[in-house]
Amino acid sequence: MNNTILQVSELKTYFFTRIGVVKAVDGVSFGLRKGECLCLVGESGCGKTATALSILRLVDSPPGRIVGGEIQYHAEDLLRSPVSRLRRIRGNRIAMIFQDPQSSLNPVFTVGDQIMEPIRLHMKLGRRQARDRALHLMEQVGIPQAKERMKYYPHQFSGGMKQRVMIAAALSCDPEILIADEPTTALDTTIKAQILDIFRDLKQKKDMSILFITHDLGTVAGIADRIIVMYGGRIAEAGSVLDIFDQPKHPYTRGLLNCLPAISERREKLSPIPGVIPSLIDPPEGCIFYPRCQQRMPVCQQKRPEEFVISGKHIAACYLYA
Amino acid sequence: MKRGGLQNYIIRRLLYAFLIAFGVVTITFILLRIGPSSPADKYLANMSARTQDPAKVIAAVEARYGLDKPIYEQYFNYLVNLARGDWGWSFSTSLPVIELIKRHWIYSFQLILLSMLFASSLGLLIGIYSAVKQYTKVDYIATLFSFTGISIPNFWLGIMLIMVFSVWLGWFKTYYDTGLPVFSLANLKALILPVITLGTGMMAGHTRYARSATLDNLRKDFVKTARAKGLPEYIVIGKHVLRNAILPIITIIMFDMAGVVFGGAYLTEIIFGIPGLGQISFNAIFANDYPVVITITLIGAMVVLLTNLATDIVYTWLDPRIRYD
Amino acid sequence: MRRTGGIFGGRRNLIFSGLMLVLLFIFLLDLFVVDRIFEPFTYFYLFFAPLIIFYGVYPLYANRRLTRYYWDRTKRHRLAVIGLGFIIFLVAVAILGPFLTQDPTQVDFKNKNLPPVGFSSEQSIFDRNTGQLITTETQGTWRHPFGTDDKGRDLLAMLVSGTRISLQIGLMATLIAIFIGLIIGVVSAYLGGWVDNALMRFTDIMMTFPFFLLLVLIVFLYGSSLWFIILVIGLTGWTGTARLVRSETLSLRTRDFIMASKSLGASDRRIVFRHLIPNVMSLVIVIATLSIPGVILAEAALSFIGLGDPTVTSWGLVLHAGQRSLDTAWWIAVEPGIMLFLTVLAFNFLGDGIRDAFDPRSQI
Repeated sequence: MNNTILQVSELKTYFFTRIGVVKAVDGVSFGLRKGECLCLVGESGCGKTATALSILRLVDSPPGRIVGGEIQYHAEDLLRSPVSRLRRIRGNRIAMIFQDPQSSLNPVFTVGDQIMEPIRLHMKLGRRQARDRALHLMEQVGIPQAKERMKYYPHQFSGGMKQRVMIAAALSCDPEILIADEPTTALDTTIKAQILDIFRDLKQKKDMSILFITHDLGTVAGIADRIIVMYGGRIAEAGSVLDIFDQPKHPYTRGLLNCLPAISERREKLSPIPGVIPSLIDPPEGCIFYPRCQQRMPVCQQKRPEEFVISGKHIAACYLYA
Repeated sequence: MKRGGLQNYIIRRLLYAFLIAFGVVTITFILLRIGPSSPADKYLANMSARTQDPAKVIAAVEARYGLDKPIYEQYFNYLVNLARGDWGWSFSTSLPVIELIKRHWIYSFQLILLSMLFASSLGLLIGIYSAVKQYTKVDYIATLFSFTGISIPNFWLGIMLIMVFSVWLGWFKTYYDTGLPVFSLANLKALILPVITLGTGMMAGHTRYARSATLDNLRKDFVKTARAKGLPEYIVIGKHVLRNAILPIITIIMFDMAGVVFGGAYLTEIIFGIPGLGQISFNAIFANDYPVVITITLIGAMVVLLTNLATDIVYTWLDPRIRYD
Repeated sequence: MRRTGGIFGGRRNLIFSGLMLVLLFIFLLDLFVVDRIFEPFTYFYLFFAPLIIFYGVYPLYANRRLTRYYWDRTKRHRLAVIGLGFIIFLVAVAILGPFLTQDPTQVDFKNKNLPPVGFSSEQSIFDRNTGQLITTETQGTWRHPFGTDDKGRDLLAMLVSGTRISLQIGLMATLIAIFIGLIIGVVSAYLGGWVDNALMRFTDIMMTFPFFLLLVLIVFLYGSSLWFIILVIGLTGWTGTARLVRSETLSLRTRDFIMASKSLGASDRRIVFRHLIPNVMSLVIVIATLSIPGVILAEAALSFIGLGDPTVTSWGLVLHAGQRSLDTAWWIAVEPGIMLFLTVLAFNFLGDGIRDAFDPRSQI
């Protein structure tokens, strides 16, 4: 496929802490195509946020460091390009939205200011033009009385409105790629649906590529084209929405789906995955999911499973499919 | 937003400040006049020792200053006069207290102003820089430096500076030259050592606060947002981090300013012989000149109260989340 | 919370009250019947030693695991450990030093202005025979390793004496201040209403006083004996503690475990003694360590401007004397200042480490 615009290969991001090296991202590869919505799914601590931050090299350093891999964006390796070049991409070609709109907006500047910031920086527009554009963006993401609200401070907005502001700021320079790190997690269910609508709109109308990160498979179903399930800093399973929902292969994916309350079928109770997420300091030799896996085999303990192709683009890192 | 709310708040705070100042004056009055040896008695004793007819002199003086009246009446009269703007008469200098203060406040003011400028500008720079470079050698050195600065007794530092730069090297005079015009280069030079003496401790304190306030904000999510927007690092730190970090820093700077007026500045003035309010009050205490003592205590209290109020008002400008209505 | 049973059983309060009654009895005897059973200092110690042992050291011992945890966290700060080491050294000097050095007040004009060992200084001496001033070179000797002052007093002995004075002041004035602040803070927060209002307005007034000016004034008017200075610093220095303890108590009051205890029918007295005070104790320890240097500096400044107790040799007093002979004998002003600086530094290091250990949130 030639319309892959972002190719992440063998990405490794480690955190060097007092108690040891946390391998938050340990050899993750995937591609993001034009106009698609790719979802990274996993429990908290599985490395999805670290993956997203690594793309724009926003991992806090110290303690974090990207120790290996490549991120190809338009024939350019983002991990090796100079910071000045990267700055021209951040917020301009690749924009990012964070989990908690409450803390992601600077409390002491007006929302208008914060939306105009990237516009003035990247598009080199004057104050007035930038304001017009910001106004337009705010209306676009569904903020009523935008003209007046531009002068408001973040604390005068509700959580959902703040997230709209974040989206407006991210969209300000018409980015090619939007990375959204759990953008709906901190929001109420009704607001969540509204925000997801905005994303769906963006994909369809603007042909934007979206990397959507969430821990909630339910959220994913309505928006994703493809899904990557991550576990312990690695990819467990990847495939199209249909692949993952209809024919989940990896025991972990199946576990995740079993946790999901489905409206269509009546189930007596949801079945959680037993055990806890392993520490990523000194992970076990073989498959990281081994301790919690219900279909474990002796081989799983010896060597880390590679990604086995199930069919077409559907892959699973599990020896069941070797 | 609601300017009226802020105004009401300020008025309320001012009224409260007056109440507190009233308490301060009362306690000082009690301390001064109802002790085992009240300064007035001491003063009278000194006066009478120099004349042939002690009783007559004492009576005359007592009548003149109202000291023959009962103590509560004296207290009441003092308060009334204070309210009228009559701050009393300085026994030891034979001047109205207000005149004495008018002549000397400028010396304290210039010392404190220059020290604050020196301390907060350098302190902020070092603090922020060391926070940005956390866990590097620069950071460790800055931390050690700030510990040293906080722990060094400023009166000793003053003496050491005099010893090295005035006595040994002869670069400066050992005493402040009062003949110099207040705003002049020569005066600035004369103030170098006093400003270092008074400013070092404060600078170290500001460094620490600036560092920790910056660190607190460096890890916030909005900094990540700012970086994700592609903003260059100097804007990320200089705008997004600093604007948030400045709030606690302002508090400590204002707090220092209030505390230093009759704390460190007091000693610095004595060491260098700067004729500011500290020196005046020091001499007044030793000369049993209690009207001066009460007035300067009151000024000290007012400085504290007004800087506290000023801090709160500055907060409403800098932090949109804070409103007093 | 773990019950602190153990060797004293539940009778800790009883034993403590008994001891205090005995002390009060002796004190009253002292005041009205017999003259001077104990020095004022001894009363300080007799009052605070049981207080610290029963309510400070014993709970630490009873909760060894928690103590160990705090100690491990403090130990992580290398500077804090260095500070603690230096403080222990100072305490040893203060206790043992006076037995090993000569009398700090002993005057010896023949050996005046001797420099420290390894230094030499030029001195002008009036020669009786010729009637002229001659310049001689004096060498420091091991008999006076830190040199002597302008009256020939041994500086080492003076510094050792100063160590004792400074530590005493730091410890006692802080104890008094913390004691008052703790009581006012807890009472204010717990009773609320007009009591809280009155106490906090009074605290505001005390806080507004220019502290050092007040100190100078009181000491000048009412005398400058050492124990009085300690008392004054203690009686004026409690405001910060009271405020912090009050706000901490207020926030604790709404915590679940106090609510739970209340809903189980615990009495106010029980809640205050069993839950509130132990929980604000960590805060109090931090404040105490960090306020000791301020107290030591306040006394030194007081002595430095000539208002200290003239009968005891404190660092400030030596510094005061040294200021006059900067050109002839620099070491007299330098040495007490260095001691003062190192002591304050040590307490700041330790206080910083302890604060981090007790409160991982604070960065300052």
